[in-house]
Amino acid sequence: MSEKADKRIEEQARREYEEAYNFDSSDPLFGLRKEELRGPRMTRRAVMRLLAAAGALAFTDVLAACAPSAPPAQEGEAAPAEAPAAAAGGALVCGWAGTNEIVTLDPAQINQVLQFQIASNVLSGLTHINADLTAEGDLATDWSVSDDGLEWTFTLRQGVTFHNGDPFTADDVLYTFERSSNPELSIHSGVLVNVAGVEKIDDYTVKFVLNKPQASFLVKTLERSSGRAMTIVNKRAIEEDGPERFGLFPIGTGPFKVTENLVGQSLVIEKFEDYYDPERPKLDKITFIPIPEPEPLAAAIEAGDIQLIGGNPPAAELIDRFLANPDLVVSEIPGPGFQSMWFNPHRDPMKVEDFNKPLEELKQESGFLVRLAIAKAVDREDYIKRAAFGRGFPAFGSINPAMAYFFDTEINETSEQTYDPEAAQQLMADAGFPGGEGFPTLKLLITPAGKREGEIIADILKKNLGITIELDIKDFPVLVEMYDAIDFDLLRIGSGGDYDPDDGLVDYFLTTAKFNGPKRDPSLPFGIFSEAEVDALIEEQRSETDLEKRRELVRKANKLTSDKVACLFLNHPVDTVIYRKEVTYPDVSRIAGLVDLDRATITA
Amino acid sequence: MTQFLIRRILVSIVVIWAVATLVFFMLRIVPGDPIGAMLADVDPAAAEALRAKLGLDQPAYVQYFRWMLNTLRGDLGNSIYGNNQPVNQIIAEALPRTLSLSFFAMIIALAISFTAGIVSAMKKGTWLDHIVTFVAILGLSMPNFWLGIMLIIIFAVNLHWLPAIGYSPMSDGFWPWLSHLILPAIAVGAPFAAIIARMIRSAMLEVSREDYIRTARSKGLSARSVIFTHTLRNALIPVITVMGIAFALLMTGAVVVENVFAIKGLGRVMIQSILNRDYPVVQGAILIVSLVFVATNLLVDILYTVVDPRIRY
Repeated sequence: MSEKADKRIEEQARREYEEAYNFDSSDPLFGLRKEELRGPRMTRRAVMRLLAAAGALAFTDVLAACAPSAPPAQEGEAAPAEAPAAAAGGALVCGWAGTNEIVTLDPAQINQVLQFQIASNVLSGLTHINADLTAEGDLATDWSVSDDGLEWTFTLRQGVTFHNGDPFTADDVLYTFERSSNPELSIHSGVLVNVAGVEKIDDYTVKFVLNKPQASFLVKTLERSSGRAMTIVNKRAIEEDGPERFGLFPIGTGPFKVTENLVGQSLVIEKFEDYYDPERPKLDKITFIPIPEPEPLAAAIEAGDIQLIGGNPPAAELIDRFLANPDLVVSEIPGPGFQSMWFNPHRDPMKVEDFNKPLEELKQESGFLVRLAIAKAVDREDYIKRAAFGRGFPAFGSINPAMAYFFDTEINETSEQTYDPEAAQQLMADAGFPGGEGFPTLKLLITPAGKREGEIIADILKKNLGITIELDIKDFPVLVEMYDAIDFDLLRIGSGGDYDPDDGLVDYFLTTAKFNGPKRDPSLPFGIFSEAEVDALIEEQRSETDLEKRRELVRKANKLTSDKVACLFLNHPVDTVIYRKEVTYPDVSRIAGLVDLDRATITA
Repeated sequence: MTQFLIRRILVSIVVIWAVATLVFFMLRIVPGDPIGAMLADVDPAAAEALRAKLGLDQPAYVQYFRWMLNTLRGDLGNSIYGNNQPVNQIIAEALPRTLSLSFFAMIIALAISFTAGIVSAMKKGTWLDHIVTFVAILGLSMPNFWLGIMLIIIFAVNLHWLPAIGYSPMSDGFWPWLSHLILPAIAVGAPFAAIIARMIRSAMLEVSREDYIRTARSKGLSARSVIFTHTLRNALIPVITVMGIAFALLMTGAVVVENVFAIKGLGRVMIQSILNRDYPVVQGAILIVSLVFVATNLLVDILYTVVDPRIRY
């Protein structure tokens, strides 16, 4: 694609994106006409508006939706031409990267992206959003909304059967709601707190009543895959087989059914002959093999043993190799999340007793100067090049580029953490450690998998500040215990799947956050970070309905956590899918975070 | 012999019980919380509820007796992780993979080591002996995961002769089963082939200096008869000991290779469950492995009497 065309698409995306956020937040229908919110299909405009109102619209989603073909390949590299769509039939083998096993497929228990990527091929929801950001009825053929935005009435698809032969009716929607809203049965019950009830009008009509208008209801709660809360399950299967077996062999109404599940070895799904759409799925059989090690994963796709890589993002060091291979297609888009290094504020020499002091006052304290010096001494570009093989984006806060609207594009220059080695050295000297002299050796708590990254951080800090960092490598469960108890000098952790500003702020930076030292010594006044203004801003943005105001609150909170060095922010990740060119993976299926294979084909 | 067997079996039961008990309590001393590892981002109340449901809130001795009772009934409990799969099932799935791999690796190791060992003993000091020694040292020095990756690159990626990863059960056909095992079995078996080959060589050289070999030669027996009937047979005792240990080690030591070839065998089950602090699975897997160790040792002792009739229990 030419540069000019790229520019045009970007401009169009920017226009659509801004338009999506431009509405009166007090309107129960989010500035949309009632007709626009009706089924059986919602336009991109309506979906984007709902996603925006839900705080879940990423600029990259819009960009991908505007692009005429597959997401653009990496700059400077031509994406190999895809094979023309093959005839239906055939078997596909997928490698699921970076995991030992696909633990569960029960939507009530799914807590990893790599699980719902598969579940989305087996189970259905009432609606489904495609990559071009249009919402289609999945198990609903039509729907309408009341004027106050509180009552949603759905007409259900008739003639749909579950994999076990049971017919799909309104009772299944009611059962799914009952199960998913029970916190003892589902870990996603919180998603349904705004639903006051579900009513069966007749066998093929249901009505949801909400407590207050909720934009994410149609695009998240009812969405078949990522929502999970209202992914339709089969009552008889759960009651007869028990939840354990259901987690291995979930019975749904999706395009594929699970026929074999050897946890940790392989998972097989096969075409469901009675799927409601006779045109789909195309493939007869798909096998998923968890492949934990990067080198065998690469060898397997190069040898053609597997034809597609999904699951966790494959190791960054492999991507250049894949890009250079004419047999492979690499699709990369910004991923939501952040990677970081945390300081123990209760230990010398990075001790800070009160983050509430104004920044200038904090800068008089040796402990704060040390934190700031370390944060300023790390060149993010260099770190990403060495630790993530160039795959990632510099981070100066938890709000990431995938949440484009909230992302602060200038924070790399305005944050106190901006890379400046000379200033960092001066700060160290001001803290009483000129050239790192007299600075104690600090231990960096890290998992075995993070060893390489830890060594790179240690190397950068040795070079720029003359200080010594030793790695304290612990298995994940031990790391979690030490983390919860605030028993470390430095800690290397990160977060993934942060699509909404809430995800990036609430879990880490609130004084009462679940990760903020829940098992610490009770004499410690707070865990890793506590700042009254940040607390107030986070709380305020959660209930702020005016998006522009919310954006300001989010950016302010983000900037404060960065300036006051709640942690050293390192990088934001990349979302990647790789497949062999004999696979056709239509653009409409390239949904961020998902690997929908119902339209995929393969040539023999 | 019968008395010996009965005594050995009784001792074995005590050994297995001791190992199981030791592992049970060691697991609870090792830092790390299974619930914490599983529910890193779920609220503490849910974690407590789950702890109670799984009985992890009980004192260790209560948990121990409960586990012992269930184990005696043949029920190894359920995994703490994921779908709470029964441990019996996890092991029943992984064991055939590990056994297939271990048997096949053993066959490869024995085929290579016997040929190499006998040839190098017979041709002691010649270039052939030096080459065999060199290759054996090479086999010993190569880390098996590296060898595994090299084999994948050569035979799967470049030559397309064999599959790169995965496992196919024998029920899906003999060739798929075999073809998936060849590369990992070579990777696992190579170091053992090297050890056993060196062992056979030195044992044969030692035996060949014995009086009875000289007698056999002076009787005018053929060289083949002297080597296979007299020298090799008498050189087998230390070799069988090593083979027994090697087989038992293969059962658990293949974890790195299992990871490389994406095969979920017993080794991977153990490592994964230790990392997750999935107590019931660790306990169950170690119980099975200690059973295999003890059974292999017993088999080795019995084999001694077959090879050397002078040995009587």
